Amino acid sequence: MLTRLGLIAALSLGTATIAMAQDATPTDGGKLVFTAPYGNSITSLDITATPHTQDEIVAKALNRSLYKWNPEKGQPELDLAESVEKSDDGKTYTYKLKEATFHNGDKLDADDVLWSYNRLADPKKALPGAEQMLQIAGVSEFQAGTADQISGLKKIDDMTVEITVTNLADPGWNLMSNYAPIYSKDYAEDQLASKPNGLGPFKMANYVAGSKIELVKFEDYFEEGKPHLDKLDIMLMGEASARDVAFRNGEIDVNILGPVQYEAYGQDDALKDNILEVAEVYTRNIGFNPKVEAFQDKRVRQAINYAINKDLIVEKLLKNKAYPAVSWLPVSSPAFDRNAEPYAYDPEKSKELLKEAGYETGLSFSVTATPNESWGVPIVEAIIPMLSKVGVQVTTDPVESAVLSDKILSDNFETFIWSNSSGPDALKYLTCFYSKTSQTACNYVKFSNPEFDKLVEQAGSETDPAKQADILRQANNVLQEEAPVWFFNYNKAVMAYQPWVHGLKPNSMELAIQDYEDIWIDADAPASRK
Amino acid sequence: MLRFILRRTLQIIPTLLVVVLIIFVIFSVVPGSFISSLMSEGRNATNADVMAHLNQQFGLDKPLLVRLGDYLWGLAQFDLGISYRTREPVWNVIEPRLWPSIKLALAAMFFAAIIGIPLGFIAALKPGSMIDSGTMMLAISGLSLPEFWFGLLLMYVFALQLGWLPSFGYQADSIRHIILPAIALGVSPMALLARTTRAGVLDVMNADFVRTARAKGLSEPRLVRGHVARNVLVLVLTTLGLQVGSLMGQAIVIEKLFSWPGIGSLLVDSVAARDIPVVQGAVIVIVLWFLVINMLVDVAYAAIDPRIKVT
Amino acid sequence: MRLRFNLVLGLLLAAIVIIAGVFAAWIAPYHPIIDADLMNSEMPPSWEHWMGTDGQGRDVFSRVLYGAQVSLTVGLVSQLINSCIGTALGVSAGYFGGWWDDLVNGLTNVMLAIPSLVFALAIMAVLGPGLPSLLIALGLTNWSWTCRIARSSTLSLKNQGFVQAAKVAGFGDGNIMRTQILPNIIGPVLVMATLGIGGAVLAEAALSFLGVGIRPPQPSWGNMLTDARELLRAAPWAAVFPGLAIFITVLGFNLLGDGMRDLLDPHMRTRRA
Repeated sequence: MLTRLGLIAALSLGTATIAMAQDATPTDGGKLVFTAPYGNSITSLDITATPHTQDEIVAKALNRSLYKWNPEKGQPELDLAESVEKSDDGKTYTYKLKEATFHNGDKLDADDVLWSYNRLADPKKALPGAEQMLQIAGVSEFQAGTADQISGLKKIDDMTVEITVTNLADPGWNLMSNYAPIYSKDYAEDQLASKPNGLGPFKMANYVAGSKIELVKFEDYFEEGKPHLDKLDIMLMGEASARDVAFRNGEIDVNILGPVQYEAYGQDDALKDNILEVAEVYTRNIGFNPKVEAFQDKRVRQAINYAINKDLIVEKLLKNKAYPAVSWLPVSSPAFDRNAEPYAYDPEKSKELLKEAGYETGLSFSVTATPNESWGVPIVEAIIPMLSKVGVQVTTDPVESAVLSDKILSDNFETFIWSNSSGPDALKYLTCFYSKTSQTACNYVKFSNPEFDKLVEQAGSETDPAKQADILRQANNVLQEEAPVWFFNYNKAVMAYQPWVHGLKPNSMELAIQDYEDIWIDADAPASRK
Repeated sequence: MLRFILRRTLQIIPTLLVVVLIIFVIFSVVPGSFISSLMSEGRNATNADVMAHLNQQFGLDKPLLVRLGDYLWGLAQFDLGISYRTREPVWNVIEPRLWPSIKLALAAMFFAAIIGIPLGFIAALKPGSMIDSGTMMLAISGLSLPEFWFGLLLMYVFALQLGWLPSFGYQADSIRHIILPAIALGVSPMALLARTTRAGVLDVMNADFVRTARAKGLSEPRLVRGHVARNVLVLVLTTLGLQVGSLMGQAIVIEKLFSWPGIGSLLVDSVAARDIPVVQGAVIVIVLWFLVINMLVDVAYAAIDPRIKVT
Repeated sequence: MRLRFNLVLGLLLAAIVIIAGVFAAWIAPYHPIIDADLMNSEMPPSWEHWMGTDGQGRDVFSRVLYGAQVSLTVGLVSQLINSCIGTALGVSAGYFGGWWDDLVNGLTNVMLAIPSLVFALAIMAVLGPGLPSLLIALGLTNWSWTCRIARSSTLSLKNQGFVQAAKVAGFGDGNIMRTQILPNIIGPVLVMATLGIGGAVLAEAALSFLGVGIRPPQPSWGNMLTDARELLRAAPWAAVFPGLAIFITVLGFNLLGDGMRDLLDPHMRTRRA
């Protein structure tokens, strides 16, 4: 695999308001009341024990990793290391660590890095962050139990670490993960879940499980002059209607918006100037299980794509808080084909195709869906009348999110509607449709197409990024033609913020994850934030 | 009396056992697992090895009966097990939620009592009159609103429009934060109390000793204050107690809406994540609270009214 | 005797809801699912759409009418199940006494102790959303009060003359319970059931809020309210009318139940006579 260049900078479709906000000089002090919108609780204060975005929102304040994601440039960059040297074969990286202090006063050294990565990879600990370690040489032997240590991790001296990886891809993409932070080796492991100890800009002050996390500025944070804020509260608020009231009431400083609120805020003079939008790298789709005989016929899959007026759904139901999808890769992807047209809304064509395929009447299927407003039951409700016009009967199979993934992984569905990562790494996410990728990995619709396979294999061995993008573009077009899913939309994430908040970034990976150390509030903030 | 308390305490054990069994059976057949909940966001594909190790670590690969046995054996030693999600002892997860839950239940009850009891009295003074109908309609109206709906309305009116109160959240030392959730939760017990009070007052009014007093020419207000109030008190206290006992489990929706860190929202989150040990623990706590409060009510009942035979 | 205002009002409201539900297919101007027009979503009330349209462009009035079917089915059937279970257990426990009585008592305590919403939530998680699951979940979880009432009534009836007489006359236990005891406790059980209907309708709304109610796009008042909770500003009618429908129904059945209780209550009878 390859480094992905800065092409992904195109992802950052931030609005002009943010640029303005950053023109001013930051002032220090004050309090920010942030929200974690994906539930009413977090799982653990130890981010290595959980794979949830909700937890990541908190972890971003507490911890630091070797690299970090730069939302403006759209690529990983060094965080805890001041420099890195790459060997001639492109597989060995030597990092010079920065001087940094943990919240408990411990100093960062090479052993902390080794300890943290060993712990993450340790199969006995069964940590979800193990995923990020797989690129490091020797991890598979370590996990299989044939090696005591990870051979690809070496301490050169107290402040120098050498990491060997198994392929040509930049390890920054894995090691920037907030799920792979550096912890102190001398800190009791069993304390991490309740009394976290990280290198992040804020440290824990008060945790009310199920309600909020109060953090205070860490004075010894390694970046000079940061963070700007004295205090950071993160409110755990899963209920969008309650968040709306709280935001309008000035009780919270940021609010991740759903479609309805996106429209309402855009029409409200008091709110419309302080909205941050970004094209996130998720593709919403309905996956067709080839287990259902009709879906083995390309014409049926295409017919469904023709029968649904997705522009109308995006406009009316999602209030334009999404981009209608063309194929799998999102608009911002370097391999996105700017000339490609999405499936048009054409019920006649759809009927024709269904007739050809022999499903003029009598095709019916269920859609397994969660309650999510942008890629769940409400969307299925909208396509039911549309598909009934071409003679296709659709029913809903409403499930909780834990059951959705369970049903998909166990092949127990006819179709599902889901939101899946489709970037920033185009090759990685197209590989999900490679015939040898298992259903439990991410080939949920068991897609298998020789032409597509060949293109993916070619792209994998191509070292020139432009050429690789070209091949992937072709693969993406094959995918569109084959229509293994109904291509619905690419997400547009939207965050509203109070006028006194500055320094938010258009993070296309996940807008709710912000670099707190760069956020500051101005003199217009109300007294409760001072 | 001591024997009574002892007997009631011992009765708690089989009840709890059955509850544990029911929850265990239900969640052993429920679709979805803790492992699949880790995948639910569809982005951080969890490694298959990690899943297998997790299953092993939490003993999910053992047969059902062995798991039940292990759980009961732990329970006998007051060990609620380890939470799948946080990997901490379940008690550490539940304990911080207890006090907010109790506080909300008591506050809701307080609201219910100061509104419901007077309403019931007023209604009972002239049964069948427009005042009776009116107050009872008012009380029953309280029973007739979906609670999340009522909660949202309260937020809109008192937080957003009037700006009097915070719309959400929990602050250990703040009374302002508890008012809206307490009202939203208390409105249905309020209606119940109003009804019970009304019925109780009517009952007592018809009792012989009141008729005698009335015949002796006591005025109605004095009658109400003197004879009736004392006798209705017992009934009202019982209802109050029973309601406090069940409010902890009824607060789920309100807690979610107001980001209140109680047992109810913990329970829902744990069900969604299939964190079965925490679900078990939370249900046990809710049930225990109910049983203990009930026992206390019975004891108090017996203490107030010596005619009740305690066996 | 004064006009029993509450009882009459309760009857009236309940009748309106029942008529709306039963004749939904004839009254409703639109199909509640298929007649969706996204182009005309979130339209305010008008001549075409008396209660406006919802976020999907469906006619709120039609959905409220069809929703009455679901809510009434949930209310009536779940209470029927509850009453049957509660009465059967309560009467038999009171009549036979002994270990059976202890067992039923224990079970009743368990059911009272587990909050019914929690229980229903768990059952819904197992069975999956949908009307049948909802009926089972709400039908199995709310019989304890009925059971208690049936048991205590049976206890006091058991030793009365006519029951003893029937025993002496050689009637079987089942026969006695059916012909002598049941008719005498049917009143209070009916009152409990009527009062419970409102509770079941509300429980459906709460379960919808928690994401495990009726299977969409079938309309129920609970899922209509849940869907519309974010439209409170943009299209308040989509939330107000189903909310009002729930309110009227619960109010109606509660008033009805209360009124029936007053009628059955001997104190009230003597006082009012």
